[in-house]
Amino acid sequence: MIQHFPVMAVMLLFLGAFLVAIFGRISPVIRDGIAILIATISLVLIYALIKPVMIDGQIISYWMGNWEPVEGYAIGIGYEVDALGLFFALLVVTTFWLSGIYSLGYLKKDANKMHYYTLYLMLSASVLGLVLTGDLFNMFIMIEIMTFASVALTAFRNKQAIALEAAFKYLVLGSIGSSMTLAGVALMYRVCHTLNMAQISSIIGGEFNLTTIMAFGLIVAGLGVKSYIVPFHTPAADAYTAAPTSISMIFSGMVNKAGVYGIIRMVYVVFRAMDRSSIQILLVVFGAVTMFIGVTMALAQHDFKRLLAFHSISQIGYVITAIGLGTALGLNAGLFHAMNHTLFKGLLFLTAGAVLTATGTTNLDKLGGLSKRMPVTTVCFLVGAFSISGLPPFNGFASKWMVYQAIYTKAVESGNILFAIATITALIVSVMTLASFIKVTQAVFFGQENPENANAKEVPVIMQIPMVIMAVLCVLTGLFYNVVEKFLLAPAAGAALGVSNYIDKMMGAGYAKAAGITDIEAAPAAFSFWNPLVWLLLFVVVFLGVYIVMATSKSTRGRMLEGGEGYDPKYATFFSGEQEEFSQVGGSDLFWGFKTDWKGYYKVLQGLHSGIVTDYASYIVMGAAIIILVMFICLR
Amino acid sequence: MKFKDGIKEKNIIIKCGSDVFLPFSLIFALYVILTAPVGGGFQGGVLGAAAVLLIYLGYGYDVTRNSINPEILRINEACATTIYALLGFAGLVFGANFCRNVFYANGWLTGFVHDGTIGLMDYAVGYNVMTGVGFLLILMLGFLAPVEEAKKAKKKEDEK
Repeated sequence: MIQHFPVMAVMLLFLGAFLVAIFGRISPVIRDGIAILIATISLVLIYALIKPVMIDGQIISYWMGNWEPVEGYAIGIGYEVDALGLFFALLVVTTFWLSGIYSLGYLKKDANKMHYYTLYLMLSASVLGLVLTGDLFNMFIMIEIMTFASVALTAFRNKQAIALEAAFKYLVLGSIGSSMTLAGVALMYRVCHTLNMAQISSIIGGEFNLTTIMAFGLIVAGLGVKSYIVPFHTPAADAYTAAPTSISMIFSGMVNKAGVYGIIRMVYVVFRAMDRSSIQILLVVFGAVTMFIGVTMALAQHDFKRLLAFHSISQIGYVITAIGLGTALGLNAGLFHAMNHTLFKGLLFLTAGAVLTATGTTNLDKLGGLSKRMPVTTVCFLVGAFSISGLPPFNGFASKWMVYQAIYTKAVESGNILFAIATITALIVSVMTLASFIKVTQAVFFGQENPENANAKEVPVIMQIPMVIMAVLCVLTGLFYNVVEKFLLAPAAGAALGVSNYIDKMMGAGYAKAAGITDIEAAPAAFSFWNPLVWLLLFVVVFLGVYIVMATSKSTRGRMLEGGEGYDPKYATFFSGEQEEFSQVGGSDLFWGFKTDWKGYYKVLQGLHSGIVTDYASYIVMGAAIIILVMFICLR
Repeated sequence: MKFKDGIKEKNIIIKCGSDVFLPFSLIFALYVILTAPVGGGFQGGVLGAAAVLLIYLGYGYDVTRNSINPEILRINEACATTIYALLGFAGLVFGANFCRNVFYANGWLTGFVHDGTIGLMDYAVGYNVMTGVGFLLILMLGFLAPVEEAKKAKKKEDEK
């Protein structure tokens, strides 16, 4: 019975999408009822798999239409649910269920809600299918459905120009990513004559030839586009901003996690390349660059949702860095941070949606002082902000600590300077995250109240429930990190490293051994919060890093800003006196000193983020070219 | 010659050609779909959807838009997909996996579904593709149509 649950969860969602399309016009109750009922059934079906898969360690294999392998060749479409797939499936079902509840209240004033729920169920089904499938081509199909459902949902509020622009960018850039994945899948089929991931893994056996290197590069780059790592991040900012907030939450909670899942599945299980230091360094460098550029871009934003979008990119950088280490601890840390990112970023997007509902804007310069009017939202936002900034005892602290520890341990073990730099980057990025959330807190919830928002009210209860659930989850996973580690992370990391079980379950016992497949050797995750000597050394290194940055930066201390270009009496309070009207320290103002110091850097970033689709497409092609080139140089 | 609301009529030869070939093309599409157990669903569906093109070539965008209701096509497409998914779930009901071919030569309803659910699923694919591609063609022809014609059709629909 239990083996039917994954496929039922996915197919019921697809069925629900079309039922909504048929019966949605009859009445709003039927439309919302079908969507929420189906989402709830799917949630229950996936949660019911926790015990057999996570705790008992089963792997569920499922052949569509009972088309089992013939003479050792997998010809049918197979679903294979191991702990890694289930881990991401849990994130997916939690996210879309909460998003569905939230959208009941959030979409009150929108037209065409039937289209919304159809696409919402399609998107949920495709991402769930992507993380549960065991077939490479089926994975590509799910990526396609996911991309087009996302594009349509981005354009849902199509009365705004930004929605159409964002959807167009997403369509073009997302399609480039999908095409690269398809090309990679086609090459794999040419080499292996099968599309089953377990069998491909056993046929390749961790060895590469020219075709498989090309395929590997294309698939990883294509999935990188879906997870928005730099330089593929460009469509994310617009899409997250323009989409309805419940969908922004789905984007950051599951759509880019689907890309991360794909990368983990490819590098650890299918191609088994993580024991090579070149691939480790490639992923760590991409991850470190992603987190740094993401957070510095976030510091410069003045739109609430756009800021969260860039933080989303930055946090995915942590995940990619951690999984790129190739150690059990790194994998644990990456998965934990992926999970926590789903929770706290979902929470933050929901609070942004609440602010949008209450005030009609997400512009940080026009908000302020909402804490009195919206107490529940404020508390939830603070929980999310503390989590993402890594303050104890929230979940972000536990996972970030694990990430630091994993990278640092790797740096000490391998003696590679790049890993040490990545550690310092991770720490600095965390500080900058805290800084930019101080800015948001100040600009939205505290500070002076904007008279325009004097009649802002707390959002309805149906929107508060998902926020409170997420906030509670943020606290619980932070307090009981060891429970999470034991029941979710350790099985999932073990599944990613234990390739031979994955192959045997799908292709028949003994198949992996016959093909000479052995599991990746990895030391068990030794996770502890405290190892004083090592950390003292680390803090000395960080201090030196910060000191060098400060010593080399052009200091503005002691110089007065007066007259000339860029002079604004708004910043010179003691000179011009306080103005009577609303003049709160807005989103763009709080860190102006930092931005002035880093003028050169921001100028470069400003030039790169031109908003022109052809530019962005060329970044994607360049990024893919770099990945493929590095792989050709290192794997040959 | 002009209709009263100003639609230009096309050449009589084109119109007659469209009239003559329309039934044949639909019957051929149906024939291909009904050979479904060997996989005619998709191809037959596309052939059926091409009927939209024939009407367009013969009579222009306005008549196409008036004679085929995209909303009905949309609901039919959703129905087709629902039928497909339910037939897939039939495998689960009969104790096999999703999409398993059941009812296969087991005496019950033999002669009608002698190929089992896989044949019915392929009919559903044909139905889905016919409606889905037809809907897409109408949308795309909307871009081809001269602006005034498209606007007029839109206006007429809004009035309804």
